[in-house]
Amino acid sequence: MEHILGAIGTIIIGFIVSLWLPGLERKLIHARIQQRIGPPISSPGIMAPLKFFFKQTIKPYSPLPRLYNSLPLIGLLSVFFILLFTLPEAYHLGALASIVAIVGFLKIEEVIYVFMGSLSKSVMSLRMPFPDLAKGAKHPNVQRSFLEDISAMRAFRLIAFGSFPLYIALFIPAVISRSIFLGDIVAYQQINGPILFSVAGVIGAIVFFIGYIILLNEYPFVIIKAKADVIEGPYMEYAAKWRALIYIMRGFLMFTLAILFSVLFLGMPPTIFTWGILVNILVAVLFPMLMASFSAFAPIFTFKQFYPVTFGATILGVVALLAAFI
Amino acid sequence: MGTVHSAAIEPYRARLFVEDEIVKDAEITVGVNHRGVERIMEGLPVEKANSLTEKICGICSGVHLWNSVLVAEKGLEIEIPERASYIRIIVAELERIHSHLLYLAHGNEVLGHETFSMRLFYIRETVMELLRMIGGNRVQYGVPIIGGVRPRAELDEMKTQKIREGIDYIREKVKEFADRFTSDPMIMSRITGICPLSRKDALRLAVTGPTLRATGVEFDLRREMECYDPFEFDIITQDDGDVKSNLLVRVFEIFESVKIIRQALDNLPEGAVVDRSWEMQDTDITKSYVEAPRGTLYHSYALEDGRVRNVVIRTPSMANIGAMQHALIGHHITDAQLGIVQCDPCFTCTDRAIEIVKI
Amino acid sequence: MGIRSYARARAIHAMLVYTGGCNGCDIEIVNAVFSPKYDAEQYKIFLTWNPREADVLIVTGPVTKQNEKPLKEIYKAIPEPKLVIAAGACALMGGVYKNIHGDIPSEEIAGPVEKIIPVDAKVPGCAVRPEDVLSGVVSILPKLLEAK
Repeated sequence: MEHILGAIGTIIIGFIVSLWLPGLERKLIHARIQQRIGPPISSPGIMAPLKFFFKQTIKPYSPLPRLYNSLPLIGLLSVFFILLFTLPEAYHLGALASIVAIVGFLKIEEVIYVFMGSLSKSVMSLRMPFPDLAKGAKHPNVQRSFLEDISAMRAFRLIAFGSFPLYIALFIPAVISRSIFLGDIVAYQQINGPILFSVAGVIGAIVFFIGYIILLNEYPFVIIKAKADVIEGPYMEYAAKWRALIYIMRGFLMFTLAILFSVLFLGMPPTIFTWGILVNILVAVLFPMLMASFSAFAPIFTFKQFYPVTFGATILGVVALLAAFI
Repeated sequence: MGTVHSAAIEPYRARLFVEDEIVKDAEITVGVNHRGVERIMEGLPVEKANSLTEKICGICSGVHLWNSVLVAEKGLEIEIPERASYIRIIVAELERIHSHLLYLAHGNEVLGHETFSMRLFYIRETVMELLRMIGGNRVQYGVPIIGGVRPRAELDEMKTQKIREGIDYIREKVKEFADRFTSDPMIMSRITGICPLSRKDALRLAVTGPTLRATGVEFDLRREMECYDPFEFDIITQDDGDVKSNLLVRVFEIFESVKIIRQALDNLPEGAVVDRSWEMQDTDITKSYVEAPRGTLYHSYALEDGRVRNVVIRTPSMANIGAMQHALIGHHITDAQLGIVQCDPCFTCTDRAIEIVKI
Repeated sequence: MGIRSYARARAIHAMLVYTGGCNGCDIEIVNAVFSPKYDAEQYKIFLTWNPREADVLIVTGPVTKQNEKPLKEIYKAIPEPKLVIAAGACALMGGVYKNIHGDIPSEEIAGPVEKIIPVDAKVPGCAVRPEDVLSGVVSILPKLLEAK
């Protein structure tokens, strides 16, 4: 009984903390760097989704509106499951509480971007009425595509290449502790100290950080939803409560990945009944702030710069893996 | 990319023919912004027509008015006092500074760098305050009139002191920004070699202004204009014609403008600022050319019984935008968006048609 | 106030549509949001480019004939409750293009914004000042908060 209460309590605390994270990122870091007063801390994270709940629900312009609308829910559920399986109460569930399962859930979360992009047909891209269709007509009968389709193809490439750093960083603690089950990794660190304090751990943490930025689609790896050419990318047709879910999912993902870091590299699983939860919350607050200070100074990377950077991070990850074997 | 888009301030439509995210061909359509300015100007009294030309564009409004007034003065053969000419040049150079700062800020925003964009907008506020002090409004200040300069724009000790402080501040901050900008490898890799325009193509497609100077051709209309004779400044050129060259040309031009303003303030002659002792006659079509922040600007009209006839206006962006269609080929879509912005397009200036007879 | 009005007051998304004209008002409004001097985010007004996300639509420029249908489409795409602010002399009455009374009137202007979509607040000026636009948005908020 105590276990279940502890699990629910941790999840609720996680949810509450994740609501404040976007606001902290926006006001304390971005606004300070840009030398202005930013919005209040509660606005981007809590008040914005809340306001969206009270707007009129419209039918999005899409070939499969109900599938399109349910995609954020699927994303939110997969992030929720990742958080669930990092809790110590869930370690006895065997294969579900292992690195392989976490990689699977992260994959689901990435794949929904591809679906969102191909299903969204917004007025800002192709349906904007313009008097003539084929002026100049150098290439008649060419297929015209929506902006979001471009975004979907980019998300596909991001899945193919961009997820390498994070996944390699996830496997480093598994190699060091000789097991892929989260319970064993935590137990190993209780005995030998946190993995962060070894050579492989430090390099692994850096690679994890880069993978964190890529997964959250922050500047500089923001190419699927860059404001400069695809306006908002896959999220274009979401309104009212579904958009609120998008906002919440983002905050939740920020929190969950930070918790994953503290479980794998620091050995502190989130349990509400010990002081360790404060360390987890500290890491969860520190990670977005570090990410924001890095992303405030970076432009959008096109594929020309994206491939070398990801390649470099992957090589670094492989070096850490080799160091872990030694 | 349709008429309303986040990276474009003005409405236009760009069709990019894309294969696997590389642009194979481009077609930029203007014409959404057409208001028929030349048509409305037909038959207006001269002063009213001049004040309408100011509203053609919000960024380069001062040069439109200046050029229009120059046409009338050339046709009526009016000599303006020297102090008025110096004040007009100070306002024109301040406008060049603020237009280039807006270009840099907008370019950074398209690049994705919000921090630099905000810092540049902050520096730009100083210029807006100076222009408001001289002319009365932040955006359309209306300083030149036929015969000289509006008496409100008279510069006294306090105003000259403020202008000096303002431009010193701008020069220092823009220099810091330029050093910071060029030493950042992420940004440099993003803008070097993107959408270049070769020298031959630029000359063939009739490109003017800083876009032409960025490809290596040394041509600045200010050297040909009589009123700029007492001032000494360099012509800035860069070599490649890509985004980096365009940005650097405009940054250095800001420094040159600061130099010109300092010289003008140091040697400001005494005298009246306006000369109202002219009389209205009928003239033929007179032409006038001036160097706007984007290139060569051309106005011409004839005067008949105090009213304006046969207005023709030709703005530099018309050719520059066409040249950009050529420069975009072979680049990725995000770079292509940067390529359209690199020539500093002002679509509101561009939409023009001569339509005197309706079918 | 209930939680609905409180939440609506603390996060407002504004979308900017520019429908032809001289560009001056547009740059002043972008100045208002993007510059640290008149930062609009401190008043909880966020800028967005997606009509599905917006609450407030700020329209500048006299609506040229080719921009009339896009403006209507964007207005239809914004979910309720929504507000429209017409900023600048051109948006209010056609500006200088419709009212200069020369020999030949302009044929390209489809009229002030009022003829095309319903307007809730009007901000005058040529070009409009950033502080006026902010006070215009703030003054219209009670309508947004009390709406169903």
